[in-house]
Amino acid sequence: MSVSNVTATGINRSERITLVRFIGLYSFLVLMILILGSTIYFKLQKDLMLQTKRLELEEYSKELIDGLKLLHIYFDRYRTYPRNPLYRSAIYDADHVQIFSTLKHPEGVQLEKVIYTTDGVIQYIHVLDSYYLGTKYTVVEIDDDRKWFAQAWRNILIYGGFLLVIFLGAGVMLMRLFLSPMRDAIHLLDRFIKDTTHELNTPVSAILSNIEMIETDRLEPKTAKKIKRIEIGARTISTIYQDLTYLALNHNIVSQNSDVDLSALVQERVDYFRILAESKKIGIETDIQPGITLYIDENKMARLVDNLLSNAVKYNRRGGEIFVRLRPGELIVKDSGIGMDEKQIKEVFKRYKRFDSGAGGFGIGLNIVAMIAQEYDLEIEIDSQKGHGSEVAVKWDA
Amino acid sequence: MGRIAVTILLILSPLLSTDINIYEQNCVKCHENMPVSLDKFFFNYLLKYSSERRVKQALRNYLKHPRRKASLATEELVSRYGLMPKTDLSDEDLRKAIDTYWDKYKVFGKIE
Ligand code: HEC
Repeated sequence: MSVSNVTATGINRSERITLVRFIGLYSFLVLMILILGSTIYFKLQKDLMLQTKRLELEEYSKELIDGLKLLHIYFDRYRTYPRNPLYRSAIYDADHVQIFSTLKHPEGVQLEKVIYTTDGVIQYIHVLDSYYLGTKYTVVEIDDDRKWFAQAWRNILIYGGFLLVIFLGAGVMLMRLFLSPMRDAIHLLDRFIKDTTHELNTPVSAILSNIEMIETDRLEPKTAKKIKRIEIGARTISTIYQDLTYLALNHNIVSQNSDVDLSALVQERVDYFRILAESKKIGIETDIQPGITLYIDENKMARLVDNLLSNAVKYNRRGGEIFVRLRPGELIVKDSGIGMDEKQIKEVFKRYKRFDSGAGGFGIGLNIVAMIAQEYDLEIEIDSQKGHGSEVAVKWDA
Repeated sequence: MGRIAVTILLILSPLLSTDINIYEQNCVKCHENMPVSLDKFFFNYLLKYSSERRVKQALRNYLKHPRRKASLATEELVSRYGLMPKTDLSDEDLRKAIDTYWDKYKVFGKIE
């Protein structure tokens, strides 16, 4: 199984994602509230307008009914429908059949309602007690000047916009409030790591340089062996120190890229790890083509190679093998270790994505590899078989 | 539906003069010598029952079972002429008479 294009996630990124999600959710809720509020306001404004118009329409309605009454009584002599230029009207019988109409929009009539707007007109329905000419319903209609409509919209836009600004302001404040404990914790941790790593440097370098000064040939074999063990321990600490420094400081600093002689770098790192590998009786075999260069930050490339080698040693079996191969556009580190099944590889990649849970050496190591790979567009492939070991390939455009 | 039937009836009225005859000969004949004309009764029914369907139904009910309680006529009229006698027309003829009555006095199409 192989997986490629690993992405690393930094603390800033996860913070940003949290922020974006929060803002998204918050704005959505705020908008919903505003829309709901606007709808209610709109409805209220409309009702208010209708209430005002209703008085006027009731008057017209009464006038119409008086006219109908006269018409009913004198229908044998007089048949002119009562009209008024101020309004239009219609009459309907008990079975909702239109008897007569001067309406502009008779198709919009809703006899079961009292007052409503339809198609730019306001219609008012009155139910009669005495059915003059058989009229049970009178409909009185006037034009809707839509002034209230424009007014309502203007208010919604002005006050809605104002509220939106206030809500968003409150949202930003809330967010700061909620995020600040998290941020403080992260900064505290960051500071702690920076401080401790800095203070680790001096003693570790002191140990390493002093060990190098000891002439082991002159020592008793037993003592020489012990010194060697101390050196291995010190080197391990040194690698961990380098990783920590990288995580805590380096990856935020601008990279100092140059054409790095990869062949020399890989060889040097292999030599450095040999002593560690020997302690587990692991042999390192190399196939390094000379003269291969890559435009990269040398320090970062060293971290990447170190972590691959360190994992190959860590997860190897006693007396195993490591094979390092460098070709243009490709670096392969292969081990004869315990290997991983698909589930474990997936797990490894999950850990890449969650910086905070990668507490163990494995996680931090691969996390660094992933971060560097992402920065320089390197492709990483892990090919592993349970019990047979893993092969990690780093690829780039040569 | 009812109105379509009525329209057809109107168009064919010369052919169906027998229908009008039922009304003329039955209702009008008896009502002729009453001070309250049939059109006044009609508008009273319209005032109370509104639509064609309901007016016709009420008329049918009243003509078949005239009761003081259901009558819309004034006290004096009833005391002078007594209640209208229960109609002796068949259901079919009664329907035709009422249709003619409705068509004669209905307001539909007459308002200007
Ligand atoms: C035998 C005479 C007679 C005939 C036939 C007759 N009517 Fe009458 N009608 C009366 C009298 C009397 C009244 C008034 C008393 C009353 O209201 O019952 C009356 C009342 C009415 C009323 C008013 C009822 C009310 O509720 O007050 C209507 C409507 C009416 N007639 C329609 C008709 C029609 C339609 C016909 C034909 C199918 C008809 N009449 C045939 C005698 C007659």
